[in-house]
Amino acid sequence: MEISQERDGDVVIVRLSGRLDSSAAPAAEERLSAALTGDPPRVAIDMSDLAYISSAGLRVLLVLAKKVQQQKGKVALGGLAANVREVFTVSGFDTIFPIEADAAAAAAAVR
Amino acid sequence: MLSFPEEIVLLLLDETKGEFVPLPESVFAIVMSGAALMDLALHNRIDTDLEKLMVVDRTPLGDDILDDVLSGLAGLCDKRTDLEIGEALYEAALDAEEYRARALKRLIAHGILREENGRHLWIFRTRRYPVIDNVEQQEVRTRLRRILLSDEIPDPRDVVLICLVDACALSGFVLSGQELEAATPRIEQLRKMDLIGQAVTRAASETEAIIKFAATTM
Repeated sequence: MEISQERDGDVVIVRLSGRLDSSAAPAAEERLSAALTGDPPRVAIDMSDLAYISSAGLRVLLVLAKKVQQQKGKVALGGLAANVREVFTVSGFDTIFPIEADAAAAAAAVR
Repeated sequence: MLSFPEEIVLLLLDETKGEFVPLPESVFAIVMSGAALMDLALHNRIDTDLEKLMVVDRTPLGDDILDDVLSGLAGLCDKRTDLEIGEALYEAALDAEEYRARALKRLIAHGILREENGRHLWIFRTRRYPVIDNVEQQEVRTRLRRILLSDEIPDPRDVVLICLVDACALSGFVLSGQELEAATPRIEQLRKMDLIGQAVTRAASETEAIIKFAATTM
């Protein structure tokens, strides 16, 4: 999987591409933790190129959400493909994360 | 830190009597199996999605319960690539009684329980496991209460414990009746968050329904 990030004002936009599974989870957890730089942190995750997410990937996002909550920050997701969206619905992760249509809307949601 | 199979055995023990709280054996077997699978998932040995369970790392963990379950799953995955979580759950459940015995031995070795042999009516042998050190039980209860009675985002370990406690109908040991009623939607929300936990809840409910049906038709 590929992970890149850019800053847009006080929002960090993280782009996840490929498959977020057990092999990608450790690197993703590290990169996402590193994105919590602001005070409070504001993170938008662009998932438009994310093709697959497994339970290990969901756990990475859960850990991120917990850290963001502890730091009184905000996180939102954008651009989920239908199969990824289904995983969020079935697992109830859509009750933890605001899910927006695309990265721009996710960034706006955390401003 | 205790493994999930150890945690669930400890949570199922009535602290004062040293006896297991009533739970159908088949439901216990599913919960024990689920505890092992969820532990393997948190140790990155298996991974799951909406359709299947995959063994992603066969390296033993040095835990005789988890390693046996892992080895069984690896054997199944060698034969097929579409192993469903429910199938894996039932497979590992076959040895749940043996895993309970091993977990009890370990809890005794850790100084958390002691074994007490006795006799009932001078004839029947009885065995109890009084809790000597209840710090772990208390900590788990306190942590789960905090998560269930607030909007705090749980960590993955808390989610697993909530799934297991709920599948054993033990939530009443963590919350009062009134709290439990108020926290029911929260429990529903959190127990969905682990796909293995969902399979445990489903399998435990199905098993209980079969037991009830059998009891009413006999």
